[in-house]
Amino acid sequence: MTTHTEHQAQQGREPLDVNTPGLSQFDIVREGARRDDIEIVHYEPQVIPGTKAERRLTRVVASFFLLTGLAATAFLVIYIWWPWQYAPGRGGDKWYTPLLGVTLGVALLAVGFGILTWGKKLLPKEVSIQDRHEGAVAEDDRTITGHTMLYMAEEMGVKRRPLLGISLLAGLAPVGAVAAAPLVGGLISDPHKNNQMFTTGFAPAEGGEKIRLVREDGRPVRPADISTGGQITVFPGIDHGISNKHADSPTLLIHLRDSDADESRQANERVGHGDYMWGNYAAYSKVCTHAGCPASLYEQQTNRLLCPCHQSQFLITDNARPIFGPASRRLPQLPIEVDSEGYFVAKSDYTETVGPDFWERP
Amino acid sequence: MKRRKFDMAAAPGNAARGLDDRFQVATPLRRLLNKVFPDHWSFLLGEIALFSFVILLLTGVYLTFFFEPAMTEVVYNGSYAPLRGTPMSAAYASSLDLSFDVRGGLIMRQMHHWSALLFMAAIVVHMLRVFFTGAFRKPRETNWIIGSLLFWVGFLAGFTGYSLPDDGLSGTGLRIASAIMLSIPVIGSWVTSSVFGGEFPGDIIISRFFIAHVLLIPGLLIALISVHLGLVFKQKHTQWPGPGRTNGNVVGERMFPRYALKQGGFFMVVFGVVALMGGLFQINPIWLFGPYEAWVVSAASQPDWYVMFLDGSTRLMPAWEIPIPIGDGYVIPPLFWPTVVLPGILVGLSTLYPFLEARHLKDYRSHNLLQRPRDVPARTAVGAMAVSFFVVLTLSGANDVIADKFQISLNAMTWAGRIGLLLVPPLAYYVTYRICLGLQQHDREVLAHGVETGIIRRLPDGRFVEVHQPLSAANGHADGHGALEYVGWVVPKKMNRLGALGPAIRGFFYPIEKPAEAPVSPGHPPVEPRPEREEISSGESRR
Amino acid sequence: MTSDNDRRRGLLARLRERPAARSRGRRRLGAAVRLFAALMLAGGAYTVFAPGVQAQDNPPLTGAAAEGKALFDVSCVTCHGRNAQGVEGRGPSLVGVGAASVEFQVGTGRMPMARQEAQAQRKPKVFTDEEIRQLGQYVQELGGGPIVPEGDDLHSDANIAAGGELFRINCSQCHAFGGGGGALSSGKYAPSLRPASDRQIYAAMLSGPQNMPVFGDNQITPEQKADIIAYIQETLKHDQDPGGFNLGRYGPSTEGLAIFLVGIVALVFASLWIAGKS
Repeated sequence: MTTHTEHQAQQGREPLDVNTPGLSQFDIVREGARRDDIEIVHYEPQVIPGTKAERRLTRVVASFFLLTGLAATAFLVIYIWWPWQYAPGRGGDKWYTPLLGVTLGVALLAVGFGILTWGKKLLPKEVSIQDRHEGAVAEDDRTITGHTMLYMAEEMGVKRRPLLGISLLAGLAPVGAVAAAPLVGGLISDPHKNNQMFTTGFAPAEGGEKIRLVREDGRPVRPADISTGGQITVFPGIDHGISNKHADSPTLLIHLRDSDADESRQANERVGHGDYMWGNYAAYSKVCTHAGCPASLYEQQTNRLLCPCHQSQFLITDNARPIFGPASRRLPQLPIEVDSEGYFVAKSDYTETVGPDFWERP
Repeated sequence: MKRRKFDMAAAPGNAARGLDDRFQVATPLRRLLNKVFPDHWSFLLGEIALFSFVILLLTGVYLTFFFEPAMTEVVYNGSYAPLRGTPMSAAYASSLDLSFDVRGGLIMRQMHHWSALLFMAAIVVHMLRVFFTGAFRKPRETNWIIGSLLFWVGFLAGFTGYSLPDDGLSGTGLRIASAIMLSIPVIGSWVTSSVFGGEFPGDIIISRFFIAHVLLIPGLLIALISVHLGLVFKQKHTQWPGPGRTNGNVVGERMFPRYALKQGGFFMVVFGVVALMGGLFQINPIWLFGPYEAWVVSAASQPDWYVMFLDGSTRLMPAWEIPIPIGDGYVIPPLFWPTVVLPGILVGLSTLYPFLEARHLKDYRSHNLLQRPRDVPARTAVGAMAVSFFVVLTLSGANDVIADKFQISLNAMTWAGRIGLLLVPPLAYYVTYRICLGLQQHDREVLAHGVETGIIRRLPDGRFVEVHQPLSAANGHADGHGALEYVGWVVPKKMNRLGALGPAIRGFFYPIEKPAEAPVSPGHPPVEPRPEREEISSGESRR
Repeated sequence: MTSDNDRRRGLLARLRERPAARSRGRRRLGAAVRLFAALMLAGGAYTVFAPGVQAQDNPPLTGAAAEGKALFDVSCVTCHGRNAQGVEGRGPSLVGVGAASVEFQVGTGRMPMARQEAQAQRKPKVFTDEEIRQLGQYVQELGGGPIVPEGDDLHSDANIAAGGELFRINCSQCHAFGGGGGALSSGKYAPSLRPASDRQIYAAMLSGPQNMPVFGDNQITPEQKADIIAYIQETLKHDQDPGGFNLGRYGPSTEGLAIFLVGIVALVFASLWIAGKS
């Protein structure tokens, strides 16, 4: 900013007087560039005025612009008159968005290429060289600025009067805290309120009444509802049990084959879940212990449960032990039984923490 | 002539004078109009990111007119029959309305999403250009840091935007995000509970993400982009070595008229490509995912591509849980390492790289000339290593789709990713390093002996030799072996490349002393070179 | 019934399968065809040289079932054993699987299976619809089991929206939101629903083929099954995508590919042109 005159002086070139009569416009432009330390070293018209080439290029650019107008008009026509309301099946409305895209895209591309062709082919080619002036700031300036700042600091006299600095800091620190307090205080929320991280909708109601397992439409589930080799997603039969309010509660109820069920029962014994199954039915949390996705790709022949998000695989017949992928913890098992009316109920809440792992999970 | 001009342009001239009287803009404006920009295709990659950001702002503002960031439960009753009567959040219902009941809303939504993908893709490609050409070196470290921050802030912008429609896919992503926050040792559960306002998903997260997505993050992006561009302007653009190009100058075109026209045209082209993609390629068909319900998931649930590498790292991570037997016992879940620690390391490494390299090479000078990737094999190889690391992770993020469509076992894909993550990057380093050395050697050989002509000559003693076309008039050596010095720019390797060198100035090995014989129009007298033009060199020594 | 017929059908099957095998690049199919032809020959020879066997140990069968048994005895008996009792290590017992299972497995060409592998694949079917019906009748009469209701159109008048909800909770986790299928563990997969007919989807839900869980009529009622089929056929398959080309409905993975292969590539070419010397 400050040095171009000095710089020119160093180069020993006198600035041109732009008011000199007889100067062409280009002379003035070049002089302007020189004052910014730019030398236009090459300026070559690409087309000679009046030639065929010029006319041809002009036509090309013009037709690009006209194409834009055409496409933009088509866009408007389609936007207004094309049927756009969704109708099932295949039909004109399904072409609404593609047609808008094509017309808009063509309009924009045409104006873009029109401008580009104009700039690239019709304007003169040029090569200009500009000096960067790095390190052009004189060493003097650095010294002066440095001393000015030091001087100011000394004038304020914090060194001589340390109490000022200390008291200012002491005063400002709480102000900073005041700025942060409403944000932090407003947002913060105790994760352990109501023991919410360790309970699900299957926790027995106040009177100790056991919670029924219900389907997505709220009907309770009977053993006969699930065929051998079948599985069903069940929810706690409570208010909002089938909603995201109880995002940790969805459970997979599986009806195993006889042989698989035997194997499964033995595995359950080993981890102390001996009575968690009812008959050949086992219920495991649908929420993956890895990242919380619904691990629900049940393979009824291999008895593996796959999570589609990160491919953790759980072996249902081995108490949902993770056998592949990044999950490190078994899917929690829900102890189930059938009540006097013949519907599945949860004997108790899950005995392990449901959902993805966290630091204080005991 | 001048007088007549003045008369003709009296009105605008007076207006301009009046403006300058008040704002003194003439000098700064002249500087702006005159600013010289170097010209190379790779310098336009960053522009793609800038322009797609502008498109994001335009389409994003449009979307906010119709989107309702609330998780209140409503029953859908819009035009899309297959979801009618389904209970869902207001956010999802309004996204469906945007797609089916707002005329032209779907193309806006799709353009917004495509330009978001383009924004991130362009940032990455631009970063690769900057990295492999060494444009991040002093004095531009700050801009490199801002650039890599832009990636991460863009990442957040993308993730929050992806979550807003509250559809089945984005809800699954949100659930994983909550699990990632939960996995942070000690404070995890508190962070999650605070962000979601209670237990996942709560009923406020969409509103919070909305304000972050439309105000906080874009504000931050605009601030960072402004500083980024301001620094490019202040520090001036880097340039490739070449005739007349030194560390102390910029060779190119003045901003007006040609450069600005090209920029304007390119913006339109970027906008046009986004419009075409928005209309022709369906993106994120939220109506097929259904509303988010904690028990619903689709096979092949993936995040957008710029998050996919983290999904991949999560999939590849072995199930290593670290129990801490104090008191009741604590754990560090396996999810913590690939989703919190890895990005942390990546942010650190990417921002610090310029300083690490400068320290390693003990090179603290300012560099305004770019380096060809082959001339810095170590850096290029490190870059190839990083790229292959990223690619292996990204592919692993889609490994279930690959497994399914190419009929490979899913478990095999996971193992291939695990092994590949360890083997491919070092291999990429080695191979790239060797290729760089080979290319360097070939350059030197051509400089020393000339271009292969394909003409085989038989010597009198019966030997066959290929005739080489020397690049320089042999200075003293009859066989053309006047060794030319390598200056860090393209060496012609084919006969028909001779004479078509360098990006802007004809003649590579001779500085342009007189571009002169150019046909000159009356208004444009021939230009003379500056008297003090110095001899070309790359302005720095090469190793 | 005659072995000549069997042979001719074998040849026809070979001719039909050739191009498919080549186009999909599945070398397995070649082996499958050879094995199948060998089976045909063996089966044919068996019927020729041991005509008396079937008369001896059979319970009384209806006409169609008897036809089916004849087919069974030449094509299926190798793996599923005499009277479909199953052969250890080769094929399970078919007693009680019902006609639905036969309809699905044979109707989609999964059976006869080429060889033992992770999962039987969909192939051009080998038997005619009539023969499949006969085979189904035979298996049905062996031990009962689920049956697909009559008719080719099982989803008219169904509730698509209800079907969509059921689809998302019961089907999309494996078959993906667009019905394109997905990977399961260790090389198994949930197939694409696109080629499936109403009856095949119905049969699959009833019988739980391969690793698919069984969705019996108590769990998903016939009306609900019709809803699901309606959603698959009308919305997923018939409904055209309103946003343009759907990129295979693979979700963000192909979208990411598209932004690089289309967006970035196009714009890099544009910038090459812009900055290039004219």
